[in-house]
Amino acid sequence: MLNIDHEKCTRCKVCIRNCPFGALNLVGGSLHVNELCTLCGACVNVCRFDALSIERKKASPEELAHYKGVFVWAEQDEETSPRKPRKVVLELLGKGRELADKLGEELVAVVLAGPGEVDTEVYGAHGADRVIVCRHDLLETYSTDGFTNVMCAVITSKKPAVVLYGATPHGRDFAPRVAARLQLGLTADCTGLEINAERQLVQTRPAFGGNIMASIITPYNRPQTSTVRPNIFPVPEEKKDSSLVKEVFPVTLNRAAIRTKVVEKRYLDEDGGLSIEDARVIVAGGRGCQKAANLELLQDLAKKLGGVMAGSRAIVEQGWIPHTRQVGQSGTTVGPELYIAAGISGAIQHVVGMSSSKTVIAINKDPEAAIFKTADLGVVGDAVEIIPLLSALIEEKN
Amino acid sequence: MHEIYSKTAPEADFSQVKRIEGFATIQAEYSAYLSDESKLSAKPFDYLFFPKSESELAAVVKTLNLQKIPFTVAGARTGLVGGCVPPEGALISLEFLDKVLEVYRDEPSGEWRIKAQTSVSLKNLDSILRVKQIPLLEQSPDEAIRRHYAEFREDPDQYFYPPDPTEMSASLGGSVVTNASGARTYRYGPTRAWIRGMRVFLANGDYLDIPRGRYFASREGEFIVCDSKGGAMPLTIPDYPLPRTKSTAGFYAAPNMDLIDLFIGSEGVLGIVTSVDVALLKLEEKVSIIQFLDSDEQAVTLADALRYEDRIQLDFLEFYSGNALDLLRRLQREEPSTVGMPPIPGDAKAALFFEMSFDPHQADLDFSILEAVINGCGGRLERSWAGYESRELDRFKVFRHMVPETINSIIAERKKQYQGIHKLGTDMAVPDGHMREMWDLYRSRCEALQLEWCAFGHIGNNHIHVNILPRNLEELEKGMQLYEVFAKRAVELGGSVSAEHGIGKIKAKFLKYMFTPEQIEQMRRVKKALDPQNLLNPNDIFPVEVTA
Amino acid sequence: MKIVVCVKQVPEVADVQVDPKTGTLIREGVKSILNPFCEYALDHAVRIKYHFQDVSITVITMGPPQARDVLVRSFELGADEGILITDRKFAGADTWATSLTLAEAIRTGVPDYDLVLVGKQAIDGDTAQVGPEIAEILGLPQITYAVDVTLTSTRRQVRVTQEVEKGYEVIEASLPALVTCSKGEVVRRAPSFKDVINARQKPIRLVSAGDLQIPEEQLGLQGSYTQVVKVFPPPAKKSNLLLQNLEAAEAAREIFGFLREKRFVE
Repeated sequence: MLNIDHEKCTRCKVCIRNCPFGALNLVGGSLHVNELCTLCGACVNVCRFDALSIERKKASPEELAHYKGVFVWAEQDEETSPRKPRKVVLELLGKGRELADKLGEELVAVVLAGPGEVDTEVYGAHGADRVIVCRHDLLETYSTDGFTNVMCAVITSKKPAVVLYGATPHGRDFAPRVAARLQLGLTADCTGLEINAERQLVQTRPAFGGNIMASIITPYNRPQTSTVRPNIFPVPEEKKDSSLVKEVFPVTLNRAAIRTKVVEKRYLDEDGGLSIEDARVIVAGGRGCQKAANLELLQDLAKKLGGVMAGSRAIVEQGWIPHTRQVGQSGTTVGPELYIAAGISGAIQHVVGMSSSKTVIAINKDPEAAIFKTADLGVVGDAVEIIPLLSALIEEKN
Repeated sequence: MHEIYSKTAPEADFSQVKRIEGFATIQAEYSAYLSDESKLSAKPFDYLFFPKSESELAAVVKTLNLQKIPFTVAGARTGLVGGCVPPEGALISLEFLDKVLEVYRDEPSGEWRIKAQTSVSLKNLDSILRVKQIPLLEQSPDEAIRRHYAEFREDPDQYFYPPDPTEMSASLGGSVVTNASGARTYRYGPTRAWIRGMRVFLANGDYLDIPRGRYFASREGEFIVCDSKGGAMPLTIPDYPLPRTKSTAGFYAAPNMDLIDLFIGSEGVLGIVTSVDVALLKLEEKVSIIQFLDSDEQAVTLADALRYEDRIQLDFLEFYSGNALDLLRRLQREEPSTVGMPPIPGDAKAALFFEMSFDPHQADLDFSILEAVINGCGGRLERSWAGYESRELDRFKVFRHMVPETINSIIAERKKQYQGIHKLGTDMAVPDGHMREMWDLYRSRCEALQLEWCAFGHIGNNHIHVNILPRNLEELEKGMQLYEVFAKRAVELGGSVSAEHGIGKIKAKFLKYMFTPEQIEQMRRVKKALDPQNLLNPNDIFPVEVTA
Repeated sequence: MKIVVCVKQVPEVADVQVDPKTGTLIREGVKSILNPFCEYALDHAVRIKYHFQDVSITVITMGPPQARDVLVRSFELGADEGILITDRKFAGADTWATSLTLAEAIRTGVPDYDLVLVGKQAIDGDTAQVGPEIAEILGLPQITYAVDVTLTSTRRQVRVTQEVEKGYEVIEASLPALVTCSKGEVVRRAPSFKDVINARQKPIRLVSAGDLQIPEEQLGLQGSYTQVVKVFPPPAKKSNLLLQNLEAAEAAREIFGFLREKRFVE
């Protein structure tokens, strides 16, 4: 129910302009809401006079049954043209397909993008039944307000049972905003997702720095929403033919609704722009590397193995590498084929960021170092001495 | 009483004891055992033994005795004076004697005590006490041990082992035979004050169980060690007075002394300690404060003032000279583990680091006396860092541990160019009231020779380490000469030249500054009584070269 | 100018152990600390306070009575006054119920606030949700992942350097606004002992459920949308090979052999 406080309302009409569904208008000099309203909350958010509010009650089981479908926010890689999704979206489609099949419902990709060309076939190729495309000039680049408004509009009109977001910086930025506006349950950084016998989404995630796992459900609110870290679920195999339904969703967005402005960009120039998130081989350094100059040894080994260099939080804080190369809970989650940890102790906050690696080699002077519990091959020794010798052996072979 | 009976341990099969033979193999595969923190080079030796129990140790010692092979004993090998570097013969590593045996409450005193084997490291002891998890005791077949352990766990208070030597990876046994001390010695005394009992193996392979308070020297200053076969070894305690400061030079000696104190601080030349009973103290919340000051002299003055103010009780009182602070500043720019420590204020020319009881939950804190003392010396409480949460204290750990480590790495760098270069650090303590004079001597002489140097340490005990960092062999020579000057003056003032590091092999000559030849001979006779063939830790304290 | 910083008391996660028999957390002997990210947020606030004149910092925390400790700690670090929201009725709150409560406390406790700073995430929950949820409830623009927070020269906008995957972006928003904070570039100064003593004198207001205009069914466990149904230790790690006592050259050869076996080198 949208409640209008007519005493506070100044009839400024900002809400009317921001409503994605055209549900608000002035009738006989006072504000009126019609049956097109989906309770998306855009108007409440934008009203400066506190004249609007929405009372949300927990849904009854009958109401819950109206929510169907698994939706995946298809975050776009802003450096591609035509626009393609980020790798984590494909991972979520893989998992989403499993969940949708279990529920017997649709898997839908939701794209928010600017006016340029967008590749939609890729969603069908990775298991989606439908792709909903929301376009607007103001969606060309990410903004909290823009994306929150549009996502809420999609959710309130389409009523999905589940919404999944990649736990990327943007995902973690606006998923809670959407959850707060629509009063939904949100579980962050899930490492496991399943449908249980009661058709509820069971969301499993680490807590206490990774020392413990918790399984969580959202019994009374729909959709159930989750963010999932990249490199947790596998990218599904591409399907050859798919019967993908494409839907265009009309977007209403107002420049005034977007309250943050990017005034400067300071991107770091990295080797060929290869991000550690997508790397196949990573050589990572920690405090045990002793000084910044020694990282060159890791860089060299990484190159010889066709990979990239990364590091733990300790060396990022020391300024030896930028945060763009930080592996760990407050950095990037990686899942390479090969992860070599040099001089890293293996604190749980680091391990949480690389435990999806397929093969792990660890070198550390301390035989008790926790990293050895995660390694397939552990070597007690000085990484600064061993790594250059290893590089030489590889060089020799080549 | 002054008579004690030794016991014979059930002997294990000597052939089953893990050993490595041949110096070539030892050098190639066990190179870590060739030296301790002093980096004194080992001379070739033939055997390396790893006994896993007291029985195995007894078997090894008795066999070596029969074959008259000298043996040196090693714990964690963190010593600074070459104590566990063998001159020849065999090296026995005690590292497998590393179990906590019991935790119990002593009824008369109400103290909690721990009985632990010699190679439990101080760091392990510390964490065991913090988390109160000892699976071995939980699963002990002995019902009494399980019960006491459960009581300990249920006790809501936290306990700690007070001595707190700076080197926490040292073994408990090692800290006992060196009578280790550290920052907290200021309030709690050295290791000696906390040892309630020990088991020590003699050079002949038999052992003594010595609880404190049972065996005392006779009026003539004698102890007699009797064995089961009717033999008796008398030994006479030296009669020299002890220095008026912390000291680890020479044996402890006092009229009517407790036998246990003879072995504590004897650096392993009188026996091999295999287990100890130590007393614990209740942990109270403390605040650590680093007070920045305008000059080294101001720091020395403030340290004296804090010591004299009876209403202030500090757990420890440490000093960092201006040049030590400069080393730390350099370190901050280069070393990762100092991350999180705020930049040392640019105008800080010296610092005192101290700790005292503190209740973070108390509504009203009154530290006006402390503030008055600090102001009285020209300092201001606003120019300090304070912390009481463990994470905060972790950040301050740099001060406690990094200065010596930085010095070591600087020396290591210079050694690459001048191989003969080594660390030159003093370990001298003087009685109260003389710190300022020693400081003026240190500073004036080092500056006069334009040497690179820094000072830090336990100023509360008037015991600071002056480190000279020679830039070439000439400076090394000058530094060593200065060392003699400092040593002589310290002794003249009634102090000690080895306040905590011991004598070992490296500092044997310092014994001569503090004791007359006759007094040193008295110590030798005690050694001879307990180790007639001089097989145990030969060359420690009493160099073999010096013949009677 | 008024800055509100939300802070949380959390267990020292590095010390937490899991009981292998029950699979639950062993909390004994684990200290409680000020959440590190909240500390960073406070740090940013304190830097603004010292850079611009006439800035006051209010810290707010929701927790059991002992959460008062983190307010005192915040005072040591430079905050001026505190609000402790404590009531049994808040127990069991998930991020939504927590955000609702904190937002209401901000609205009533510091009605003329200009800027709300919160830590990016709490090291026990790790969700990073409370900041954006509070922003939504209060209707504020939000900027996340701040490594530097400052005001524009007019003092009417906040300028934030945000950590992004490719580097940094500088973002502005008009006040009032909410910023979630990561560690700043500059290591903060440690409190002096004088700061520690003075911190005990700064004022703390107590707020209970009755003081906030939130219907009871929206508080605590009742007001939470998510429910934890199971807690268990993380999966056991794989079995593995550990090589010790090798010289560097030999170690390099072993690793090389391993890489070859796994086809990472030819």
